[in-house]
Amino acid sequence: MKNTYTLKPHLCRFSKFYKKDSAEVPSALFEVKCEAPDLSDFPLPLPSRKSDYCCYVQAADGAMWYGASNGLTRYDSKAERKADAVMYFSADRDLPDNSVKALYADEKGVWVLTENGVTLIELRMISAREKADILLEETTKYVDRRGMITQKHLAVPGDVTSAFPYGHSDNDGCFTASFTMGELYRYAVLKREKGADHPETLKAKAVATRSAEAVLLLTYIHGRGNGFVARTYLCADEPLPDDGLFFRKTGGKATCLKTSFAEKKGISGLEIDASAPIPDRLAHLYKDLGYTDDDIVYKADTSSDEISTHYLFMLVAHEILGEDDPELDAIIKETVIRITDFIIDNGYQLLDYSGEPTTWAKWNTEYFETPFGWVDACLNSAEMLMYLKVAMAIAGKEERWQKSYEELIEKGYADLPMKHFDRLYQSCLSMGCAFEEEIMYGDHMLATVSLFGLCTLEKDEELLAKYRKAYKTWRTSIAREHNPGYDFPYAVACPDEELDMDTIATWFYRTNASRLAAGVSLVGRKDVAVIRHSEEYKEVAGVLPPDECFISKYDRNTLEYKNEDSGGLNVVESCYVYSYAYWMGRYYGFIKDEGENING
Amino acid sequence: MDKKLHLIGNAHLDPIWLWRWQEGCGEVLQTFRSALDRLNEYDDFVFTCSSAAYYRWVEEIDPEMFAEIKRMVRKGRWVPVNGWWVQPDCNMPSGESFARQALYSQLYYYEKFGKICNSGYNVDSFGHNAMIPQLLVKGGMKYYVMMRPDLRENPDAPSPLFWWESADGSRVLTYRIPTGYAGDGKKTLDYKIETLSDISEKKGHDCMLFYGVGNHGGGPTKGDIEHLIEKSENGEAELEFSSPDDYFESICASAVDLPVWSDELQHHASGCYSATSMVKQLNRKAEGWLAAAEKWNTIASRTLGIKAQTENFAEAWRNVCFNQFHDILCGCSIMEAYEDVRDTMGYAMTVAANAENNALLKISSNIDTWIDGVSDSVSCNDRHHCRNLKYPRPVVVFNPHSWEIEVPVRTYHPSKKVEDWQHNEVPYQNVRSSRSNDSHMDTLFVAKVPAMGYAVYWLWLIDFDEDDEYDYTKETDVKASEANGAITVENKYIKVTFNSATGGISSLVNKEDGEEYAGAENFCVPTVFDNTKPDTWAHNIFKFDTVVDTMKLESIRLVEEGPVRSVVRTVHKYNDSALTQDFILASEQKELRVKCKAIWQEPLTILKMPFPMKGEDGISTYEIPAGFIKRPCNGEEEPALKWGDLTVTDNGVRKGIAVMSDSKYSYSCPENELRITLLRNSIFADHYSYRPDALFNYTDEGLQRFEYAVYPHSGDIKPCEATARAEVFTYKPVTVPASYHKGTLPQYKSYITVDAANVIVNAVKFCEDGSGDAIIRCSETCGKVTKAMIKCDIFDAAFYAEFKPNEIKTFRVDSEGFVTQTDFLEGIPED
Repeated sequence: MKNTYTLKPHLCRFSKFYKKDSAEVPSALFEVKCEAPDLSDFPLPLPSRKSDYCCYVQAADGAMWYGASNGLTRYDSKAERKADAVMYFSADRDLPDNSVKALYADEKGVWVLTENGVTLIELRMISAREKADILLEETTKYVDRRGMITQKHLAVPGDVTSAFPYGHSDNDGCFTASFTMGELYRYAVLKREKGADHPETLKAKAVATRSAEAVLLLTYIHGRGNGFVARTYLCADEPLPDDGLFFRKTGGKATCLKTSFAEKKGISGLEIDASAPIPDRLAHLYKDLGYTDDDIVYKADTSSDEISTHYLFMLVAHEILGEDDPELDAIIKETVIRITDFIIDNGYQLLDYSGEPTTWAKWNTEYFETPFGWVDACLNSAEMLMYLKVAMAIAGKEERWQKSYEELIEKGYADLPMKHFDRLYQSCLSMGCAFEEEIMYGDHMLATVSLFGLCTLEKDEELLAKYRKAYKTWRTSIAREHNPGYDFPYAVACPDEELDMDTIATWFYRTNASRLAAGVSLVGRKDVAVIRHSEEYKEVAGVLPPDECFISKYDRNTLEYKNEDSGGLNVVESCYVYSYAYWMGRYYGFIKDEGENING
Repeated sequence: MDKKLHLIGNAHLDPIWLWRWQEGCGEVLQTFRSALDRLNEYDDFVFTCSSAAYYRWVEEIDPEMFAEIKRMVRKGRWVPVNGWWVQPDCNMPSGESFARQALYSQLYYYEKFGKICNSGYNVDSFGHNAMIPQLLVKGGMKYYVMMRPDLRENPDAPSPLFWWESADGSRVLTYRIPTGYAGDGKKTLDYKIETLSDISEKKGHDCMLFYGVGNHGGGPTKGDIEHLIEKSENGEAELEFSSPDDYFESICASAVDLPVWSDELQHHASGCYSATSMVKQLNRKAEGWLAAAEKWNTIASRTLGIKAQTENFAEAWRNVCFNQFHDILCGCSIMEAYEDVRDTMGYAMTVAANAENNALLKISSNIDTWIDGVSDSVSCNDRHHCRNLKYPRPVVVFNPHSWEIEVPVRTYHPSKKVEDWQHNEVPYQNVRSSRSNDSHMDTLFVAKVPAMGYAVYWLWLIDFDEDDEYDYTKETDVKASEANGAITVENKYIKVTFNSATGGISSLVNKEDGEEYAGAENFCVPTVFDNTKPDTWAHNIFKFDTVVDTMKLESIRLVEEGPVRSVVRTVHKYNDSALTQDFILASEQKELRVKCKAIWQEPLTILKMPFPMKGEDGISTYEIPAGFIKRPCNGEEEPALKWGDLTVTDNGVRKGIAVMSDSKYSYSCPENELRITLLRNSIFADHYSYRPDALFNYTDEGLQRFEYAVYPHSGDIKPCEATARAEVFTYKPVTVPASYHKGTLPQYKSYITVDAANVIVNAVKFCEDGSGDAIIRCSETCGKVTKAMIKCDIFDAAFYAEFKPNEIKTFRVDSEGFVTQTDFLEGIPED
């Protein structure tokens, strides 16, 4: 392990919005005389044109705030880190709109009058750990849905407290598994540092356990008794989304509900078996709320995304929680056996309700030989090998799995992952598009999950060298994101690689303490070069700090020059993007936290 | 036989080689006519041709024929390839030169044919630096066709089809021609069909078959085309008239896995990087001067309204690009051709000189240098800046580099005091001038000049009647001494002791670590190597390591000693040849500069300067276009740009020596001895050494002036530091004598700021589309991912960008200061 980097307390931005006529707004804001600042000798890049700045104020901490017609700029000439000297604030996340009219500073912060309202911006000194806690609290309070953690839509735009109680995502399993891994690392770190009985440790264990149960439940919820993994499930009193195939369970059967897709396939009303029991240990997640097995509506498709994150999650859960919770560990073992055998027995693919292969959950050579599968093979081959290694790590070295592993190696599976960039690039040339545009950013997560798993589990030097080479190939595109959630597993898997810890620190320091998916303004930003790959696809020439980027999961290009549609003011996202990276960094000793609880 | 052979009809055209350019031009016209005739005769025939320079010749001389070509291009039957002006040498041009090769050529193609070239194409170039993939991609190309080195010369590199990747991750699908770019006659074509069919089957993908009479032009003959049609119709092979573009597109659309190559492609003609020093010196000088002049012209145009010289620069660069043609820059053309090179490089440098002078004088004349009272003087001498004894005279020192420099600069006439713009005294020294009249002395002082900016210095002149000798009271770090016949010079960084018997360096101590860097007695002793066997290219010879003799010391003496520098002069002789070297150690400098004058009269010899070190784990590192490369210390002659380095571990201490040069391109490193090749005296265009009895002329005979420098460093070499030092060493600041005037500009100003030492600005220019937008091109020089801030107030531009290792980025700044990252083509061609 390289030297541990110490994260320090840092400023974190908090915005509070007011109507102009709110009594809480100081009248001085409306009385200040606005003058354009003299920025002719400003030493650093400014987000707005100099001519766009119309007002300024000096805050109590000495920093200057400059209001412009397209956002707000804070300048601290004494900032400890150059990356924090200039900060940009914009609508919708920091301001109601970008047309700043006046600024006023008092002990509470900086009051910003814009065209449509007033904002109080406070920069609060917090630690990276405290940020993780704040984010977790928001997530557990507003995003959690029976232990599933993905995102929630809001009844009142911008108000996370108005989150609807229901909702669903195609990747509930995938994102919940990722969230859970972060919480498992949290539990492990706190247990190591504070002891197993410390209240914080126990709380962390409870959160991790609940979500672990939620992920595992998806393998049982359908009642088919095999290793199929549902994408998600709803309860019968929740609105049915017109988004794919849903089956309602009743009396040991499941009936296909009417949706556009079901109608198109002509299977509305189709009845299939759903009699397999669900372990009480998992079913309590809905039963505790008063639901029964007959209240369940599950989504009847799945993808390789889900399966891959499930597997790594199971490995981490087995390693961290297994000894503490034998009951859950037994379910993990049972689950990994079920899924693995189901995949192998069906020719390295998952079958859907009809016994036909699902669209995406395919890991066999037949799929790899199709035009689409030729590019996909580089990821899916790594996934399949990882499943087998994880299964053997959790459930023991089952001879049949080892045999499968060796057969797949023989078929070239270990060589395919390192061809990823070659095939992707070739495919892009063929299509005439930039590879940056063609990258599936969600694949970065899947490649990380697969190759991290393989590199940490494989002991054979020759195979390990291949997996590491493959991982390095993937870094061609993954590294552009400067996301420690990707950087840490890479450094664990490939210990000879250096990490840019200053950039990683910036990522932690500059992540917001809320996952409200409100967008930010990029158009009109003058302090970063823009790359135009095509008329429709532009990127910034260097990733911006997270508090000046759109909010997303680990599945979007953070360099893209627009606000990715994550729902904007209408959605609150899960905290896992931050918490997974933070706790994994702590767990593996890449980071430590100075002043962990500076605010008590 | 399920694999296809794509038939690439072409004509390799050397515009200069064993003939001068006028004949090359004629050869182009004849070849193009012939190709058009074949296209009219055979409906399926496709013709492929590179080099924008040739198309422009045809456009100017025969517009009707050019119109025919345009029609054929529209139909897809004539395929222009290689978006570069010619097929240049691919090792010696700078990164900026490659950018200009693409800029002027691709925009020409775009203007004339409505599209740019997708395929790079340098089938005869003698070796390829590792940055080529990026240089192609940023010039709008996706594919590449090359041939040298062949499989025999480099069996490690893949063949024929592979991905070639450079350090920044740019990659091009590359085809290394396995059976020659030319070929005509049934026998040759049948051989090619058979060989390539075998390769196709073995590799599992289609191949390209290149055919056509070449070198002196020609192209596919009727007989060849008909033979190929017959072979195809007989079903003997699946053949298709095609182009590189179509071939590569078909490969991309297929599911074929190809190997990846992430290195350079060397060696073919190892002698080409040292033969004919003249053309190399002109190339290095023109590249730097044009880049600097365009920066100053752009700045002065933007801030002070002088005319932008964009088109003049373009034409000057086209001449430089033309002279980078592989047979020209590689020094292997006939002697007469270099007369033309001298003329056209002279044209380019005249453009640079005029534009630079106009800009610098315009800027200088707007600096406030007024001194109250100066106008009261009635004496002509008082007002005339060269004779003014009453007032100090201002000189403006301009720094074309994007980082602050602190170096000695020289002005004519001696001084008795030098002050900076804040009137602080600075170290100075009056040194012997090159002239014999008046005082015989010039002023040398250490100037600190901001990034891409200027600083005014004030020089107090000496009266002619005064004694030349001055007591330099300023403290200095420069010292010189003689003990036991050995001369030692030192400053705060290094200490150098000369061997009084050999004239070499017996001791070179880096004061930073106290380590000895001179590893053997021949350190810096000029050594003559045998060059009898190699032809001008040195075909099939990859090392020049047979020592003939060392040059013998004639004299050594300390010729200057002062606060700014000490100079030791050595004179060496070998037969009828002489080498005079001034070893200059200046204040505050970490390198020992050596100014050389050689009178060389030895046929078939090579002159090298060796720098042996003690230690193990040696790695040699070299500058390549816009990057650097590490190579094994195996003694092979290696192409490189302004610096080469050897770093070793000696008793657990890592240390190294970088050698820089202002005009050389060839180095070698046998084990622990780095050598720079200073001269290579071969017969002109001596192709495979068929040497009749004749009075030959030699590539490097006569007077040669050049400079090199030795930079000892602790630890591993930092390529960004070596590059920056070599840039300043090669492209020195310009000193402009100013007059007294009021002005709006301050006496110290920087026009650009880059906050990362490993990101340098290569070009500041106006966009070629006449929009008035500015172009700023930067490159990363340390091989690290780097986020850099670039600030250029005159364009209201201040922005961040992230660079990949050794990445070149081109930024386009619009009238409001918004910045778009584009490529060498400046965002002009539309999708």
